[in-house]
Amino acid sequence: MVVAGRSSCLTPATLPGTLAEMSGAPVIETQNLSKVFGPQRALDGVSLTVSPGAIGLLGPNGAGKSTFMKCLLQLQPITSGSAKLLGREVGREGREIRKRVGYTPEQDCHIPGMAGCEYVTYCAQLCGLPFQAARQRAHEMLDFVGMGQERYRKADTYSTGMKQRLKLAQAIVHDPEIVFLDEPTNGLDPKGQAQILELVQSLWKKYGITVVLSSHLLHDVDRICEQIIIIARGRVLVHDTLENLKSRKRGAAEVVVATGHETLQAACRQRQWGCELLPNGHMKVEHHSESLNPLLGLLDELKLPPLELIPSPNALEETFVQALEISHAPA
Amino acid sequence: MPLHDTNYQHWDGTHLGLWQRRLTIARNGLTACLQIKGMRHIVVVCWIGGLAMTATLFLVGQLLVADSIVVQWVGNLNPQLQNFAHTFTTWLEQHPEVSVRTTQDVLFYYFGTLLLPISIFALGMVLPVLITRDLASNAIIIYASKAVSRGDYLLGKFSTAFGLLVLTWLGPVCTAWFVGNLLAPDWRFFWHSRLALFHTLLFGVSSMAILSVLALGVSALSSKEKATPAFWFMWWIIGGVIAPIAMQTKPWLRHVSFNYNLDQIALKVFRLGDDLQIAKENVPIFGSMLSNIRAETMTALNSPPFSGAMIGLLLMAVLAAIVVNKRAKPE
Repeated sequence: MVVAGRSSCLTPATLPGTLAEMSGAPVIETQNLSKVFGPQRALDGVSLTVSPGAIGLLGPNGAGKSTFMKCLLQLQPITSGSAKLLGREVGREGREIRKRVGYTPEQDCHIPGMAGCEYVTYCAQLCGLPFQAARQRAHEMLDFVGMGQERYRKADTYSTGMKQRLKLAQAIVHDPEIVFLDEPTNGLDPKGQAQILELVQSLWKKYGITVVLSSHLLHDVDRICEQIIIIARGRVLVHDTLENLKSRKRGAAEVVVATGHETLQAACRQRQWGCELLPNGHMKVEHHSESLNPLLGLLDELKLPPLELIPSPNALEETFVQALEISHAPA
Repeated sequence: MPLHDTNYQHWDGTHLGLWQRRLTIARNGLTACLQIKGMRHIVVVCWIGGLAMTATLFLVGQLLVADSIVVQWVGNLNPQLQNFAHTFTTWLEQHPEVSVRTTQDVLFYYFGTLLLPISIFALGMVLPVLITRDLASNAIIIYASKAVSRGDYLLGKFSTAFGLLVLTWLGPVCTAWFVGNLLAPDWRFFWHSRLALFHTLLFGVSSMAILSVLALGVSALSSKEKATPAFWFMWWIIGGVIAPIAMQTKPWLRHVSFNYNLDQIALKVFRLGDDLQIAKENVPIFGSMLSNIRAETMTALNSPPFSGAMIGLLLMAVLAAIVVNKRAKPE
């Protein structure tokens, strides 16, 4: 567990699944990493040790998430401090590092006039794959990301969803050990978002490729990431496992019941538990307990079978908001 | 439906070396250049010029053979021309080492300077392919995130421009030298014309290198595809207009024209004044022809402002390098 900056109030309990227990040599190590653009400090003394896995990089717009990734990839020069990616010094072994790293930028980045498959082949060649292997892998990756015959069309004509898939294909075509994804679901409809997230999730879970997912969409990160890094104002406010973050917020749950909302509210009031009806029809109950047993006991007592029970429903959101409040507080 | 497994598969092949990755960038750039409308026609025109040069060299070579069809044909056209041909033949027979070199020097100078404007025009057309498009489409980020450094990227783009100039300029000239001398009646033509080839290569390679750097600089000036060719052609035309005017008023101002500077370097490298002097002394009919040339022209031929031209071109190249360094990087 790492808590940086002024986030000491977020100290969690020591629970299983802490970062120290996660296996594997660190993929990212930074020491006082800083990046300054004129008068603005985009990164302010970031010190992190990140283990392999699915890592969510969270923060509001302008927090420094993209800058952090760009500094690691040497797309931006580091102002001060040091960084290691996959055990190699960033700044000294750029080409060697990037041979093992994939990156999808936030914005469109295709080469005009090139068809999708040509583009992915070219990207593989830039990473050192021979032409035949590059072409074969390009087609495999385009299949993997779910692109059909449109791969033979010029990328300029692609929809946002296709461009996102193309970006993902070029990022993994050379079989990297770690992939940085900058807002990969931007501009996608819910179905497209789900498909992309599923692919991203499989990269770590099935194929062992570390994924660093930068997003301001908590849902995306919550769905696929095991580790969370929250950045705001260029500082790392929280770095912990999602499990730990959720455990901090135990004591609240969302209950879906078919009937008896008023009965449940009254019973909760009697026990001095917070209870409110949410706009989506769910009941949010603050039961102040690490276990769900008291809540389940109450529901059983009231003969209200829960249709759904979501423990710590907004843990990530609350931690995120709390971290932001801390970051915005005057020094 | 894909014919192979659509799951992700790891790749464990051998990576290609750095030079092959640079070559990939250059090859891709050159392919994109040749896809531009009209570019293939320009290349064909240049090679037709090379064919014409080969024919000229063949005709000059045939003058060595006293009873060749060429000499007879020239005699049928005009008896005076036959006298000229005989004098020329005598000179060629007596001093082949000087005569072949001088003749080919003059021919390659004219042919080289004839192809130069076509090559500059071609370069202007492909400027968007060099850096402009990569800036506009953010593809520069993709290059920066792959296993190539910024230097590799620029070297690849430089090679694209250089490669195009080889296609439109040095290629036809060198091929003409080789085929022309292959068709000559004496194998010693290869040896005697070695200096002409050296001058061609010296002028060609150095000019192409400078033009390529200037093209990269102009290409990086803007991310608008129409703007960079406009800058290039404006610079070329305005420089061409200023140079003769400035000759009378502020002579240093003529060096703003890269075309003028390249012309001066060509004169210095090919030593055209010396060549004409040798021809004047050895072929009497030449002597009478050259006596009509004005003294200022001969002075310009004998002592071109080489230092000024070199300084002018170097300053332009430095300026272009600064522009490239500032602009050709991910934002």
